[in-house]
Amino acid sequence: MSVLGGADEPTNVIEWFTDLENRDILRPIPEQAWLTIWHSAFALTMVVLLAVPLAALLAHHRKGELAASWIINIGRAVPTITIVGLLVIVSLRAGFGLEPWPIIIALVLLGLPPAFTNTYAAVRGVDPSAVGAARAMGLTHRQVMQRVELPLALPVILAGVRTAAVQIVATEPLAAFFGAEGLGAYLRAGLSRRDFVTVQGGALLVAGVAIATEVALMAAGRLLLPKGIRLNVRTSRADRHLRRDSAPATT
Amino acid sequence: MNRRWAGRWGGGLVGLAILALWAKVRVDGLSMDTQATNPLVRWEWVFLREETRAELWEATVQHLKLTFIAVGAGTAISAGLSALALRLRWAFAPITAVTGFLYTIPSVALFGVLRSRYGSFLAAEVALTSYTLLVLVRNMVAGIDGVPTSVTDAADGLGLSRTRRLLTVELPLALPVILAGIRVATVTTVGLVGITAIIQLGGLGQLIFDGYGTQFYTKIVVGSVLSVALAVVLDFAFNRLEVLCTPWARRAVT
Repeated sequence: MSVLGGADEPTNVIEWFTDLENRDILRPIPEQAWLTIWHSAFALTMVVLLAVPLAALLAHHRKGELAASWIINIGRAVPTITIVGLLVIVSLRAGFGLEPWPIIIALVLLGLPPAFTNTYAAVRGVDPSAVGAARAMGLTHRQVMQRVELPLALPVILAGVRTAAVQIVATEPLAAFFGAEGLGAYLRAGLSRRDFVTVQGGALLVAGVAIATEVALMAAGRLLLPKGIRLNVRTSRADRHLRRDSAPATT
Repeated sequence: MNRRWAGRWGGGLVGLAILALWAKVRVDGLSMDTQATNPLVRWEWVFLREETRAELWEATVQHLKLTFIAVGAGTAISAGLSALALRLRWAFAPITAVTGFLYTIPSVALFGVLRSRYGSFLAAEVALTSYTLLVLVRNMVAGIDGVPTSVTDAADGLGLSRTRRLLTVELPLALPVILAGIRVATVTTVGLVGITAIIQLGGLGQLIFDGYGTQFYTKIVVGSVLSVALAVVLDFAFNRLEVLCTPWARRAVT
C-alpha cells in the first residue's frame, strides 16, 4: 500500500523481486540463497557420509538392531525447532558464535534419521537368496555389500537421501529466526515488521529451493538407477502379473 | 513377576528411585533469591517460582490444542480423499501428487504466506492440516487395500452391501495401519507446532523463542525438553492404542 505516494515500497511480490534498492538491511537475494544452499549441501554431504555406510554395515552384519531402532524412532519424535534452539544456545554460551557450525550440526542431526532409516531398511530387505548366492560363490563380506546389496538397495537409499535433503533445505530458514542469515532472513524481517510482501517473497524463495531440490534429486535418481531396479517402472499389460506389488491371485 | 522381570525392570526402578531422591534433596536446597548468574538451567525458576507451573501447563495445553485440531481435521479430510481414491482408482496418483507437493513446501514458508492473508490461528491450522494429509491418505488407502481379497470375497458372499462391508469388515482390519498413520501424523504435527512460534502462536515453541530473545536459557531448555517429552509420550500412547486395537495379533501364540 503506497501511502507515501511514490513507489517506495514494493506493493506486490513481483515488484519485490525486481526492486533492488529497497532491501537495505537485508543482503541481496543471491547472497542469502547461496548461504542457504551451501549450509544445506554441506549438511547433506555429512549426512550421507555418516549415515549410509553406518546403516549399511549394521544392516548387513545384523548387529546393533536395538540402537538402530532407537535412532529411527527418536529421530522422528524430536521436533526440529528443539534441535536448532538447543544447539544455538550451546554454541553461543561456549563462544563459538552462530555461523556456521551450530546450524550445520543441527541440520546434520535433522537429516540423519531419514537417511539412516531408509538405508537400514533397504539393506536389511535385500533378497536373502541373492546374498546367499553371492556368499556361496565365495565373495567376501565387503564384496557382497559392494556388488550385491548396495546396488539392489540403491533406489530406497536414494529416496531416503532425497527425504533428508528436502528436510534439511526446509529447516535451514528456521535458523534465521535464531539470528543467522540465509533465505529465512526475509521471513524473519517480514514477520517482525509486518511487511507481508517481504514474507511472501521470502516464502516463495524458500519453497522454490525446496521443490527444486526434490525435483533435482528425483531426476538424478532417474539417471543413476538402471531400469531394472527402479521403484515404479511401467510394465506392459501382458507382464502385469510379474509386477512385484500386484496382489497374489486367489486359487 | 518372575526373576527375569525383576532383573530387567528392578534395576531400572532402583536407579529411578535414587535419581528422584537426589532431585528432591537438590530442589529442597534451592531458594528464590539465588544470584542471577544465568547458568544453562536455573532450577529455582522451574520448581520454586509459582507462575512457572501455570505457564508451562498453558503452553502445553495450547500446543496440544493446535496438534489435535490439525490431526482431527486432517483425518476427516483424508477419510474423504481416501474414499474417493478407493472408488476411482485413477484418482490415487493425482491425490498423492498434490498432498506430496503440499508436504514439500517448507513449514516456515507456508506459515508466513498464510499469515500474510489470514489470522495466526487459521493460518497455522490450515498449514498443519495440509502437512498431515500425505501420511494419512497413504496409510488409509494402504490399510484398506491390504485387507486380503479372500476376506472381502467372504463378506460379499455373505450378502453385505459395499458400505457395510467397508464399515464392519475392512475398517477393523485396516485399523492398525490407519492408527500407525495417525501416530506418525501426530508426532510430526507436534514438531511443526513448535515452529508456529514464529507467528506468535504460543505453545512450547514460544518458550524457546522467548528464552532466546531474552537470553534466558532455562526457558529454552525447558521448552525443548517438554516438546520432546510430549512427542515421545504421544508416540508411546498411540503405540499402545494400536496394540489394544488388534486383539487377534496379541492372542497369536508363537
